[in-house]
Amino acid sequence: MSRADAIPAALYHRIVVWLLFLILLTPLAGTLLYSLSTSWSASILPDGLTLKWYLELWSDQRFLDAFGQSLLVCFGALALSVLLILPLLFVVHYHFPKLDGLMNILILLPFAVPPVVSSVGLLQLYGSGPLAMTGTPWILIGCYFTIALPFMYRAITNNLQAINLPDLMDAAHLLGAGTWKAAFLVVLPNLRKGLMVSLFLSFSFLFGEFVFANILVGTRYETLQVYLNNMKNSSGHFNSALVISYFFFVLVFTWAANRLNKDKS
Amino acid sequence: MSYLSLRGLHKSYGATSIFSDIHCEIGKGEFVTLLGPSGCGKSTLLRCIAGLTEVNGGQILLDGEDLVPQAPQKRGIGMVFQSYALFPNMTVQQNVTFGLRMQKVAKEESAERVHEALAMVELGDFAARYPHQLSGGQCQRVALARSLVTRPRLLLLDEPLSALDARIRKHLREQIRGIQQDLGLTTIFVTHDQEEALVLSDRIFLMNAGKIVQSGDAETLYTAPVDVFAAGFIGNYNLLDAETASRLLGRPIGSRVAIRPEAIQIGSQGSIEAQIRSHSLLGNVIRYRIEARGVELLVDVLNRSADDMHANGQRIALNIDANAIREVA
Repeated sequence: MSRADAIPAALYHRIVVWLLFLILLTPLAGTLLYSLSTSWSASILPDGLTLKWYLELWSDQRFLDAFGQSLLVCFGALALSVLLILPLLFVVHYHFPKLDGLMNILILLPFAVPPVVSSVGLLQLYGSGPLAMTGTPWILIGCYFTIALPFMYRAITNNLQAINLPDLMDAAHLLGAGTWKAAFLVVLPNLRKGLMVSLFLSFSFLFGEFVFANILVGTRYETLQVYLNNMKNSSGHFNSALVISYFFFVLVFTWAANRLNKDKS
Repeated sequence: MSYLSLRGLHKSYGATSIFSDIHCEIGKGEFVTLLGPSGCGKSTLLRCIAGLTEVNGGQILLDGEDLVPQAPQKRGIGMVFQSYALFPNMTVQQNVTFGLRMQKVAKEESAERVHEALAMVELGDFAARYPHQLSGGQCQRVALARSLVTRPRLLLLDEPLSALDARIRKHLREQIRGIQQDLGLTTIFVTHDQEEALVLSDRIFLMNAGKIVQSGDAETLYTAPVDVFAAGFIGNYNLLDAETASRLLGRPIGSRVAIRPEAIQIGSQGSIEAQIRSHSLLGNVIRYRIEARGVELLVDVLNRSADDMHANGQRIALNIDANAIREVA
């Protein structure tokens, strides 16, 4: 391609990208504007700008409760994931490398079964009997663990494969460290990045989860998404403020995840 | 009195035997090489001595005590791996200190010993670097320092030079040998590279298919291979069966024969007529492929000057030193 052709081509690419960006951004910008306007119905532009919807939202006790409960469920699920997955990964990769194949199939299951289907199954299993936990946050924590598992397993496995675990453990053993010490001093610090990135990813995903939260628990332990769903009949401005607040929160989290990823280089 | 003795060691995975009935005696301060093709069990044997792999039977006596029931942490053995196995989250300094930290050595003493060890491998200026900021050769020197700093009773080197390029490999092997001799450290070195083994070792154990085929110093191993495998693995021996050898030498010979390529002299006068088939220049040595009495032979000649070079197809005569003709089983 000659130089003269290159400039219009670059321009064309640029326009396509910006156009795509605009298309994606327009609904969000509209929502933002709507959440900031006093009223906006029969005119092209809103009548006036205000922050009252945000003030109303952030002083609504029910919203704050839902926000806190969402955080609690997400952090609970992630804490459970870390506690279970880290030792699991260590055992799989250090002692039984053959199990990795099985794990790779297992971690696909949460994706293979649609949430609507598995939530019905979960309702039947945990609706009654010794493990009756539907309607409590506990079932969400357990259920979210299965959703976080694939993200965390893959990310940390990649991390583990990059460090040649068996040789590091052997070296640590010969230098006098027991298996526990070696795992904490040598292996764990090398997994920090994979762990953090997968935690942020899982968090963003779980924070926006609606299907399981609505079916398994519903209003008895309202999470943010369920609250949003329940408020669908209230003012559109109010809901827009809610969506933008939620989006902004996740954005900050994603940005943090990106920052951690970049530190690798 | 030997310092390390292996008595009747054997190891198998299910029905597959890795090595069996290994006996050897190693003196204090000796540099011993386990040499063999890949899959001969040499690395597994090394891991068994370290305690990283369990043996199925036999004894490993180090300074009179049996190591077999002991955990690897208690054996007082240092090991260097082909993959370096440096801890990526720690600096060079922290890597080398790790062993002393585990032994709970006091801070001042520890710092001094780490400094000493790093100076020994000429990496004093690199203490604050992370492993990913070092070259392969530097990494392996850090790994060496990390093993030496704990003052091991025995140093094991598992193909430490295999991942490095040729120039660094030569330099590092001299460094390893120098340090080993300075410290009088009993060392077992595993390699599949015969040149490394010949250059470094006090004694070489040649292994094949889980057995020690031959042991001895470099000269014995090179000049007197005990069997066809040994002759084939070390050097570039011409291996001839009894019939071919009889035809070539013009006298009846009862067994297989191995002739070193540099023990054959070629020139204008000699007892056997021959013709040059091809030649290749290896640098200081010219390797000719010649045919004599219907037998193909490799002949190595020192590359003294370009004028001495024989052209392909040239007719020559050759002499074979009678002492160089080894009968092998």
